Amino acid sequence: MAMAALRREGRRFATPLLSSPIRSSLISHSQEQAPNGVRSISTQVVRNRMKSVKNIQKITKAMKMVAASKLRAIQTRAENSRGLWQPFTALLGDSPSVNVKKSVIVTVSSDKGLCGGINSTSVKISRILHKLSSGPEKETKYVILGEKAKAQLIRDSKDDISLSITELQKNPLNYSQVSVLADDILKNVEFDALRIVFNKFHSVVQFMPTVSTVLSPEIVEREAEAGGKLGELDSYEIEGAETKGEVLQNLAEFQFSCILFNGVLENACSEQGARMSAMDSSSRNAGDMLDRLTLTYNRTRQASITTELIEIISGASALEG
Amino acid sequence: MASAGGAAPFWRAAGMTYITYSNICANLVRNCLKEPFKAEAISRERVHFSLSKWVDGKPEKPTIRSDPTEH
Repeated sequence: MAMAALRREGRRFATPLLSSPIRSSLISHSQEQAPNGVRSISTQVVRNRMKSVKNIQKITKAMKMVAASKLRAIQTRAENSRGLWQPFTALLGDSPSVNVKKSVIVTVSSDKGLCGGINSTSVKISRILHKLSSGPEKETKYVILGEKAKAQLIRDSKDDISLSITELQKNPLNYSQVSVLADDILKNVEFDALRIVFNKFHSVVQFMPTVSTVLSPEIVEREAEAGGKLGELDSYEIEGAETKGEVLQNLAEFQFSCILFNGVLENACSEQGARMSAMDSSSRNAGDMLDRLTLTYNRTRQASITTELIEIISGASALEG
Repeated sequence: MASAGGAAPFWRAAGMTYITYSNICANLVRNCLKEPFKAEAISRERVHFSLSKWVDGKPEKPTIRSDPTEH
């Protein structure tokens, strides 16, 4: 107690040395004031940083909680939506290596950041696909879902972007929304093959960048004649008055909307998972940083106390002696 | 199924894709639900996104689709 009083005493002498407006703005809210480098070392800066790190940690913890609860809601939906594309893959197969003139790459990304590397992954895969599928007499365009992939692709390939879609996740994702969107995409781009790039959700920390290919009906027919998996299409009986071309067109459209729906859901799920783990590690980092800062703070504080004590004792002994 | 198949060329001739057609059908089915479920089903399927076309490397003004009944 006496020591604290003494320290306060020392401070009073030091006060005129500091310009008052800066000082008051710096340390107005702290009780234990330390003058800036006059007699003892200032702990003000460290204390401010500790406070801000603590606040950041609170925010990241809250974001992790939010992401965890959103993830739980969306994960079941994403897993259920897998049942939509599986029959299509069984029927039409997935042919990522198909060689066509007009490809359209649909890059699925998120609108918000702070979710690890999922957006850069899908952009990277899209760029590779673009490089692979472009060539003489070939045209490759991008359709971009989400703000983040747009921001990345706008830098080097803005001439190849044909559509960009944002604000998809304002309401909870649902099939009507994605199908209207798929419809708009189909109406606005010409394609022989659509390649949908998204992050498939495996677990909270694992996402697989995935490409799903949707072929246009003409290409499906061409591939069917070439044989292979699609060659089995002829063994199906077609009901009603429709021709095979009509059925294939309907199928291709429906397949696109289903795969897009699944892709959007999987990507949203991966986004929340990635955000959760990113926020978890940043809370942990903030904790580590806080520990280090606390150590520095305490050391400085002790050092200043020791210095003051030495000064007092030596002053007293000088008076006595 | 057979009757729906017969109507196929007409909606295609009207400029609709299969997706639009199936959405209209789905909406009809949703409207056939009884009350507490009907409002729930309709509120679940809300459409909202903003789409912008790109011409010569520049985005045009985005159009916002946010009406669930607009198809």
